[in-house]
Amino acid sequence: MSETAEPRQDPPPQQRKKFEGPKREAILDLAKYKDTRVRVKLMGGRLVAGVLKGYDQLMNLVLDETVEYMRDPEDNSFILKDKTRELGLIVIRGTVLLSLSPLEGSETISIQDTD
Amino acid sequence: MDSHRLFSVSREYRKTCPTFVHLMSALEILPLEIIDKTIGQPVWIVLQSNREFTGTLIGFDDFVNVIVEDAKEITVGTDLQDVPIMQHKGRMLLSGNSIAMLVPGSKKA
Amino acid sequence: MFEHVNNIKNSTVAAMAKIDSSQFLSTIIGQNVNVKLHSGMLYRGRLESIDGFMNVALSSAKEHYESGDNGLLRTYPTDVFLRGTQVMYISEVK
Repeated sequence: MSETAEPRQDPPPQQRKKFEGPKREAILDLAKYKDTRVRVKLMGGRLVAGVLKGYDQLMNLVLDETVEYMRDPEDNSFILKDKTRELGLIVIRGTVLLSLSPLEGSETISIQDTD
Repeated sequence: MDSHRLFSVSREYRKTCPTFVHLMSALEILPLEIIDKTIGQPVWIVLQSNREFTGTLIGFDDFVNVIVEDAKEITVGTDLQDVPIMQHKGRMLLSGNSIAMLVPGSKKA
Repeated sequence: MFEHVNNIKNSTVAAMAKIDSSQFLSTIIGQNVNVKLHSGMLYRGRLESIDGFMNVALSSAKEHYESGDNGLLRTYPTDVFLRGTQVMYISEVK
């Protein structure tokens, strides 16, 4: 069912060159964050933090030791800093990724305290 | 024969040890490969909304549309507790459109 | 040597997965299915046809909110067309 949902229409090669230049390179090299803790925001408002273990060109991510910061169910924009849940090893879809940033400091510093 | 034994031991180890990927850090870990290795095993799928599905992963495609068997559909309620919606029987094609995260293994707690 | 056998097994599993999703669609045609939209509306009916965009046509569909256990909102004597972009899932009714 590879033709499901939005069919990927590759523009003709000439056009592609015009749009993207000679070669499509990621503007962000995720390799430098590999095996470090990162914070990831997702479309829909979820916020997770975990150790970046892998990724691909579509920005799908593999995070380990992941925790999700739960939000106020009444007001989804408000993150309850003391409410988290352990997700462990997860795959995040590149299509829903909004932002990714490194969590500074050692792993013993918790996100609750950094704010 | 020896190599076969080693292989099955490591597979067994992966099932029991959630941080197996630590041992693989030298290797390239591709997200879709992780999903592929979950086929036939329990999976927990989290949508962009407060909805989640657990079941057995049967397959997926390039868009990460997912086929799950005997899926349990829940939402996370106002008290952050699971609210059961439906227990499905048989297979389900879940649109990749709204999937945010896939977690190999069944949902903890 | 056995590792090699296992590798072959693994690659066929991957290949099967590819077939699986389109195969799934063909195997459920004519069956009773649940289709849920992102709005939470649930449609239970006979799957007449489906395409690669997940556009769906159902016959003798019943409309519920979230679950078939919740009250019946409507029955459709005619075919119902559901737009693929709004479909969250399609599941077998067994």
